[in-house]
Amino acid sequence: MAYFLFFLLSVVCIASVLGMIISKNQAYSALFVILAFTCTGGFFALLDAPFIAVIQIIIYAGAIMVLFIFVIMMVDVRKGITPEKKKWTSGFASGIAVILFIELIVALKMAFNPLNTSSSQAIGNPSDLGYLLFTKYLYPFEITSILIITALVGAIILVKKKEKE
Amino acid sequence: MNTYTALYPILTIVTGALLIILLEVFLKKEKKDYLGFIAVLFLLASGAECIKFWNKGFSYFEGTLLLDKFALFFFLIMILTVIFITLISLKYLSLQHTDHGEYYGLLLFALSGMMIMVSSRDFLVIFLGLEVLSMASYALAGLKRDDERSSEAAIKYFLLGSFASAFLVFGIALLYGAVFSTDISTIMNFFHVETNFSLMALTGMAFIIIGFGFKIAVVPFHMWTPDVYQGSPTPVTAFFSVGPKAAGFAVLMRIFFPFWKEAVNSEIFFHILWILSVLTMVVGNLVALRQKNVKRILAYSSIAHAGYILVAILAGDNSGLLFYLTVYLFMNIGAFSAVIALSRKGKEFLELEDYSGIGFRYPWIGATFTVFLFSLAGFPPTGGFLAKFYIFSSAVHKGLVPLVIIGVLASLISVFYYLRIVIYMYMREPTRNVVIFSYNPALFLVLFLCLYGVLMLGIFPGNILLYIKQAVAPLAF
Repeated sequence: MAYFLFFLLSVVCIASVLGMIISKNQAYSALFVILAFTCTGGFFALLDAPFIAVIQIIIYAGAIMVLFIFVIMMVDVRKGITPEKKKWTSGFASGIAVILFIELIVALKMAFNPLNTSSSQAIGNPSDLGYLLFTKYLYPFEITSILIITALVGAIILVKKKEKE
Repeated sequence: MNTYTALYPILTIVTGALLIILLEVFLKKEKKDYLGFIAVLFLLASGAECIKFWNKGFSYFEGTLLLDKFALFFFLIMILTVIFITLISLKYLSLQHTDHGEYYGLLLFALSGMMIMVSSRDFLVIFLGLEVLSMASYALAGLKRDDERSSEAAIKYFLLGSFASAFLVFGIALLYGAVFSTDISTIMNFFHVETNFSLMALTGMAFIIIGFGFKIAVVPFHMWTPDVYQGSPTPVTAFFSVGPKAAGFAVLMRIFFPFWKEAVNSEIFFHILWILSVLTMVVGNLVALRQKNVKRILAYSSIAHAGYILVAILAGDNSGLLFYLTVYLFMNIGAFSAVIALSRKGKEFLELEDYSGIGFRYPWIGATFTVFLFSLAGFPPTGGFLAKFYIFSSAVHKGLVPLVIIGVLASLISVFYYLRIVIYMYMREPTRNVVIFSYNPALFLVLFLCLYGVLMLGIFPGNILLYIKQAVAPLAF
């Protein structure tokens, strides 16, 4: 069953990444990315890491994607990149791609760990994490709430409507 | 006493901030001043709690909340800073069209962030405190929304600050990877035990220095400082030049005081900090020579002062550092208050030319400003002289003679640009028509208190040194 799911997710993931690259419309690309991220979340679930799986979907497929879509909304999509810039960007991108490829090969050689040796340590267990959050890390957790309200208040002051004179 | 009692000083500040934000909605525009008074009330309450806790030595949440005397001393310095800032902002905000009531709330949030930073031994908590401080600072820098420079300051501060935070987190993560702990004393223990070269841990330390180097504006991480200081509303600039710096140095002291003693590989960091200190003193003072804007001069001067304080870190002179920060609080806020005093509705006088003849037209402002500038330059009998004297003499005792020579030469350069302002104030014919809004009792109270502080610390430093000796005792553990 796990193998079947793994290959299903892999195929969908690769197909959606390809779809992201090929599709002309940026909005479709963004949607394909969400699909790819969701599949990656599925891999984490298969590796017995439910918390990371959920986080992967909430943060990447949720929060980060909203940012992408906002940018697409604000930038004029139809214009595209000018040819002289395109040469530069594609050269840069292929350079990075080569580096990443080498990195992947090194990583594969150094630690090839097939599916069946998933770690049984329960670090990804949501209830354990929750327990830690409210016992050992209670103080940092509460500070985070101050951090969020500060950021919220600060952002609202900077953008709120000006009062009439 | 239980855990929650230990939280009182910080909780009071946060409660005050929330209450101010809530009340802001209900208050009329002319009555926004009340929020400032509420802020002062909460600040005083928190200060009283700090004094009450002085001899107790709390440590809670497994050392992530430490209310030792060191932290409490910094609490008191910072609370005093924010009281001063609140008082000098009262009139300024309505005069310069920045009267958002949330201003005081943000100040208190920034204060709570700094308090969290200095009262912890755990990098995770220190980082969160730093972020609370930074978030509030970004918004405070951009508060003058009609002014392009203010928005520029906010964006610059936000982008560069986020970079610095990323460096800091990366450094903490690397240290965690090497030591499996974010606790400073555990990390120092690791450096003590681990005799061979641990690249991961040392890189982590280097990144942490970069992160804090940005906060305390050390050359070459100072690029944001002049623009942010110039663009921000002036009371906010005064706050930036004292508050976050004190917090950053407090954390550096918690890190480096045990580090020099315990770490086997500490020389490399000693050299790095040595170079940073020299660069900061020299570049800060040299660039200040060419500035025409008083706010920018004070910005570069605050960079240079960070360099002098780094000398104290290198010499391991904790009491000298605390004394320097205390004096610096009075003289720098005093200087900025004098700058704020020279303003009227919708206009601030910030160019050097504006200051010509001020000494005779507004004798009180001119005289106090002169005292603060003398103190910043390090003339006796002001506190600035003693502060520099303590730091440099302890550095000589530690054998850091070249560093001290460079420091003294750099502070000689600084005399030129400080005195230039004084010369403009007293020896130039007034060329511009400078008329100021002079009914500002809170501001003059702060000017007077700062003057008192600078002179008292310069002439009778004994009392405060006694408390400082107690405050640095917990660092030695």
